[in-house]
Amino acid sequence: MSGTLLAQGLVLGILTGGLYALLASGLTLYFGVMKVVMVAHPAFLFLAAYATYALHTATGIDPLLTTVVTVPTFFALGVAVQRLLVARLAPESLATMSVLLTFALALLIEGGLGVVATGSYRSVTVDYASQALRLGSVALPADRLIAFGVAAVTLGGLFVVLRLTRFGRALRATISHATAARLVGIDTDRVTAIGFGIGLATAALGGAVLSLISPFFPAAHWAWIGRLMAVIVVGGLGSVQGAAVAALLLGVLEALLQVTWGATPAALLFYAFLFATLLVRPQGLFGGRLAQRF
Amino acid sequence: MGGGARRVALVLAGVLLVAGCAGTPEDPTAAGDGGGQAGGTAEPVAGGAGGDGGGASGDPIRIGISLPLSGDFSEPGVGVQQGYEVWAESVNRAGGLLGRPVELLFRDDASDPNRVVSDYESLITQEEVDLVFGPFSTRLVIPAAEVAESYDMLFVEPAGAAPEVFEQGFEYLFYAAPAVANDHYNYLADWILALPEDQRPQTAAYAAMDDPFAQGTAYGLKDRLEAGGIETVVDEVYPPDTTDFSAIGARVAAADADIVVGGTQFEDAVGLVRSFQELGYQPRLAAFSTGPTLPEFDEAVSGATEGILSPVGYAVGAEIEGNAEFAALHEELHGTPPTEDAANGYTVGQVVAAAVEAVGCAEQGEECQRALADHIRANEFQTVVGPLSFDEAGRPQSAHLIQQWQGGEVQIVLPEDSDAVTAEVQFPKAEW
Repeated sequence: MSGTLLAQGLVLGILTGGLYALLASGLTLYFGVMKVVMVAHPAFLFLAAYATYALHTATGIDPLLTTVVTVPTFFALGVAVQRLLVARLAPESLATMSVLLTFALALLIEGGLGVVATGSYRSVTVDYASQALRLGSVALPADRLIAFGVAAVTLGGLFVVLRLTRFGRALRATISHATAARLVGIDTDRVTAIGFGIGLATAALGGAVLSLISPFFPAAHWAWIGRLMAVIVVGGLGSVQGAAVAALLLGVLEALLQVTWGATPAALLFYAFLFATLLVRPQGLFGGRLAQRF
Repeated sequence: MGGGARRVALVLAGVLLVAGCAGTPEDPTAAGDGGGQAGGTAEPVAGGAGGDGGGASGDPIRIGISLPLSGDFSEPGVGVQQGYEVWAESVNRAGGLLGRPVELLFRDDASDPNRVVSDYESLITQEEVDLVFGPFSTRLVIPAAEVAESYDMLFVEPAGAAPEVFEQGFEYLFYAAPAVANDHYNYLADWILALPEDQRPQTAAYAAMDDPFAQGTAYGLKDRLEAGGIETVVDEVYPPDTTDFSAIGARVAAADADIVVGGTQFEDAVGLVRSFQELGYQPRLAAFSTGPTLPEFDEAVSGATEGILSPVGYAVGAEIEGNAEFAALHEELHGTPPTEDAANGYTVGQVVAAAVEAVGCAEQGEECQRALADHIRANEFQTVVGPLSFDEAGRPQSAHLIQQWQGGEVQIVLPEDSDAVTAEVQFPKAEW
């Protein structure tokens, strides 16, 4: 076991952790905003990857620039999904029923993509994606650096919006106590819908990045559900910074396990952490009162 | 709030279980036990007759088939279906089997092993089909073959290449393709071991998906190379739902072996190639199973295909009797050249048709079906993937051709004495 390989594993783990954080950020937001367990989030990620692919092949513009179109579209889609579907679920069984509803959404997206785009693999390939930056003998792959950069900007942006803006305060008030928020004049329905829209907008960014990194097909989202759910449970449901820390932690440990012990034991890591969290600290690393999580 | 968080966490754990059981996420080209996620999108589709009996008359010979026509494995499943349809059409145009038209009954199993069992049960007992053809994907073949076996039905199948398939004591099963998984790389092993001492690679690294087919191909080559004195420096196995290959690639790259072998499907082949590119690992020889044989591969690795070797069971351009007609009819019916999956489906039809014509029967019942199986065991068959014969357990007795990407095109490079060869092996491979 050489030091170089460990350093390489560490670097790859940090970069991949950034990707996990980006992909999970929307998921923790839905939960934080309204306790919706959004099983369809990975399906929306791949819907975004297909949208990126379609725009990139049709117009030739850079896959990352397609987010100028996909992010607002997904935001609108998120508002629509919240207003038309999620808002109709009974509040007392929201967490459970939202699983069923969004599971159906995931199947619809997968089936729809299968019909429209067929089951074939698609890839978005750009010249810079397979380049790498070299620091000594450690390589920093360009696609991972991009993913990490997009993740940092997105999570930073989310944090600023939630912490520093009037909308962010309204959102946190809604999360903290919806009835009280309404009493002080906050339009909680509107705030919730926008929160959901922001969650799906992060899926548009995540999908664009994902399309750069690996080939995809309609059923690819199943591999991500468990992993992303584990990230937000370990991080503390509803906590954006918790998800980021958990994603980095799990990404680094996974990569280190993969380079030292092997990929099969590394695959257990997310579930081991998930069960340990449920047993020992069900509120997650950054748990506490939901209201204080931002 | 603490109780609420715990409750929600439990809901999430339930979700994970559902996702884990229902959605075993795998590569669509994989042999797999996909499960309910595909089931959720697809109801069984019956019917879909293959031909309308031009020239043939009398009661049709009805053939029951279960395939993954939706969900994860729809791509290869539909490929096999198209091969079956082309076969039925060509038989019907030529006057049918035993003078009777053939009719195909398709069921969609969505790659679910439970569904594949009930599909064949109902095709045999309720539809009372005369013959059955096999499903797609290695792991579905065993449960399906058990059903066929219990009803004494001949079971020629297009996709059960793993060693386990032939270790169940099946008497009616035959795999209608050139070779079982472990023999896919035989020609490449022969070629490597025949290299002069000073050129022969010394070390090899293996990375294989934990899947009986993909791993079988890589380990078949590993056994041969180890026996020939080429040292194994990495032997890495990863689960089928792995999405990130950068760290796995780093482990392989760190060993800097002369040869890298991937027991891969598609995503993993692409992920490993890209990881090696990024890490600057340049092996002298690189071989990957399935991935590079798919047309999407070139685009997925942005053209970094030069010199990559793969075993391939079928070549569209190969000058084999009947192949040109098959390719032309496939083009006519489906608008595309046949894939390897389609060729395997067509081959199943060719083998069964030859047996039916020779034995003179096509009906349920031990007498006819056993006579068909005995005939297949004892004879050689001319098919679009070359001449096929089978051992006692139904294993085909040939080997796969070896293809290599050269200048953005796929060339058949091994075995050197074959008519199908279109170019010489490039060695050492160009950098990627």
